[in-house]
Amino acid sequence: MTDDQAAETGFDFHGEALDDIFSTYSRLRAACPVGRSEKHDGFWFLTKNEDIFAAEQDHATFSVAPSMLLPDLGAGFPMIPIDIDPPDHSSYRRILLPLFTPKAAARLEDGMRQTARQLLRQLTEQEVADASALYARPMPSIVFSRLAGFPEKDWPKFDAWVDDIIYERTGDLARAQVAAREVVDYFDDLLRAGPGEADGHDLISQLHRARIDGRPLTQGELISYCYLLFVAGLDTTAWAIRSSLWHLARHPEDAERLRREPGLIPVAAEEFLRTMSPVQAMARTCRADTEIRGRQIKAGDRVVLVFGAGNRDPDSYESPDEIQIGREANRHLSFGAGIHRCLGSNLGRRELVVALEEFLCGVPGFSPARPEEKWHGIGPLTLRLARS
Amino acid sequence: MHALRVDADRCQGHARCVVFAPDVFDSDDEGYASVNPEFERIEDVPDRIAAAVANCPERAITLS
Repeated sequence: MTDDQAAETGFDFHGEALDDIFSTYSRLRAACPVGRSEKHDGFWFLTKNEDIFAAEQDHATFSVAPSMLLPDLGAGFPMIPIDIDPPDHSSYRRILLPLFTPKAAARLEDGMRQTARQLLRQLTEQEVADASALYARPMPSIVFSRLAGFPEKDWPKFDAWVDDIIYERTGDLARAQVAAREVVDYFDDLLRAGPGEADGHDLISQLHRARIDGRPLTQGELISYCYLLFVAGLDTTAWAIRSSLWHLARHPEDAERLRREPGLIPVAAEEFLRTMSPVQAMARTCRADTEIRGRQIKAGDRVVLVFGAGNRDPDSYESPDEIQIGREANRHLSFGAGIHRCLGSNLGRRELVVALEEFLCGVPGFSPARPEEKWHGIGPLTLRLARS
Repeated sequence: MHALRVDADRCQGHARCVVFAPDVFDSDDEGYASVNPEFERIEDVPDRIAAAVANCPERAITLS
């Protein structure tokens, strides 16, 4: 077997595989842009930007059942709405749409900024600090839990659940399933307690009031929504903030430029999202035999859309592996496209921008204290902080 | 003269256009974008509109 074949059949996009995944992507895009891995019971993968975009638009061929995640998140039921195909998908999604528009996200900005500043006060008391545990992780957890209506006393439990469900599931499925069960039970109890206030604006209150084809949501549907919002809202934004700070700590010239030109931060944020996307890939299931770039994909086969590879496709971007914080044409795949586009993208983007603005403003200089820490995940990011 | 429009069948509410050209594009209560009437026909294509077109993840904005 050649090295290229070994890279193809052994391709994975979780855990340690991420350490050096950008060179894996380069190799795969050139040698087998549509490949077949033996991992996770076997799956096809697409690495070209155009192929991924086309598959996302073609929901008639590519179903999201049984799960958009590979492996799935261990809950034992489909997550609404990401694991639901048309025609049911649009009524489920429509309930959430008004809550995640750009205007809705903008209304949360003052709260985000206050939260960021409070967290920074603790962080900057130290000379060497874990910016992931003290900033990148808690900020989205607090912002999202407030929006969702998850009681503050429960927040300390959340991080361990996220770690077990999202990050441990590829190595220790049983542990992920235990955590998934706990999360389901937690939401079951929380939802049975009913909405906090009849006219509450939090997501749980709004889900209680929502109607689908004229009927209220079932307890199972409510739990599914909450489960998805929980796993989607907490960890991805934390990854985006952490990976952006990871880069800026290693490139003080970029941090300095953003301090001088804060108007560039939203542009830089898109570049960080493109090159270090918190979601490196999402899965589909092929509904009918189909052919992509000469490879025969059978009905029932799992197909993984590797956003991280498409985001660094030299046919779509100039110098794709360079992080250029001023890159203006930056149509990337990090939030997906088509009918399953990340519903929280406007919220996530705003949180990332606010987090970077406040961090650059509140921390005069920072550098890696443990250079061996990786770009990916939501583990520690240990920084040496300069004094003002 | 160019006709600027957002294809409602393709738009998924990413709202990049609203960020690049907030005076040109608006988003509705569900987040879907549209072109403000005074920009539906334009002589020249300013940079902010070109950026909105280039960055639309769904390729839903057309200039013809």
